[in-house]
Amino acid sequence: MSGADSTELMNKLLTGLRLAVTEMMTAMAMSEVVFAGQESADSFTLTNEVVGLVRLDGQLQGMVGVSCSQSLLREIVSRIVGLAPDELAMEDLLDGAAELANMVCGGMKTKAQIGSVQLSPPVSIVGQEYTAQWKTNHPTTVFTFQMDEGVLMVHASL
Amino acid sequence: MKLLTIDDSRTIRRVISGIGAMVGFEVLEAENGDAGIKVLEQQGDEVALILLDWNMPGMNGLEVLKLVKADPRWAHIPVMMVTTEGEKDYIIKAIQAGAIHYQTKPFTQEEMATRIMEALGMGGL
Repeated sequence: MSGADSTELMNKLLTGLRLAVTEMMTAMAMSEVVFAGQESADSFTLTNEVVGLVRLDGQLQGMVGVSCSQSLLREIVSRIVGLAPDELAMEDLLDGAAELANMVCGGMKTKAQIGSVQLSPPVSIVGQEYTAQWKTNHPTTVFTFQMDEGVLMVHASL
Repeated sequence: MKLLTIDDSRTIRRVISGIGAMVGFEVLEAENGDAGIKVLEQQGDEVALILLDWNMPGMNGLEVLKLVKADPRWAHIPVMMVTTEGEKDYIIKAIQAGAIHYQTKPFTQEEMATRIMEALGMGGL
């Protein structure tokens, strides 16, 4: 794939990713989410309490992650499954973070209309304290979304 | 009549169980293809609709779909794919293998409830 084709594919995916986040939060969590900004970074450190990660392979390699505070994840998962936030166990949060990343990436692929990128099973991390280095071969685009209960961040290195 | 959701995500299984209950059905849950086949072995006579994820550990959804459609005990049960894979190729493969509906994630409760009713020949909501 030429550099121009690769850039076009990446741009399609990033546009699809941004739209997919809004769609997922509206459809599944019945939550309003407002796009609050985008930046690009050569290096990136994950410091939020929660992250869901999916690796992309095929025509384009990369990684997409969703991160937020544990309280925001609890609120989002609560709305999705219809249980009170304090009824959710750690297993629910882990699966919820993974499924958020999975749905965002699936939506991204569909909206970008590309079938040649495969998604890995999602990985999720939920913890009070951790610092993870997000190290990839490409710069990371960070989307920020504002919700009533906090900030949702979506990171893509493509 | 019961619905069977086969999905490795407990979040999605819970969502589908909630929607199933909303439209008046008990929902059986299985976390992978093997567990889904076991449920069919035990309660296949009561299952009116299978809601099947595509990407799962072990057998993927397409493999499960083919197994279901190849078995005369279950071949008549309608199968709806419920998956993040929304590309045309996936949809064609699923329909060719016998899926009656294809629902991408994410979905709204209303969309899924309507799809379930349609798949059961009960019309939309």
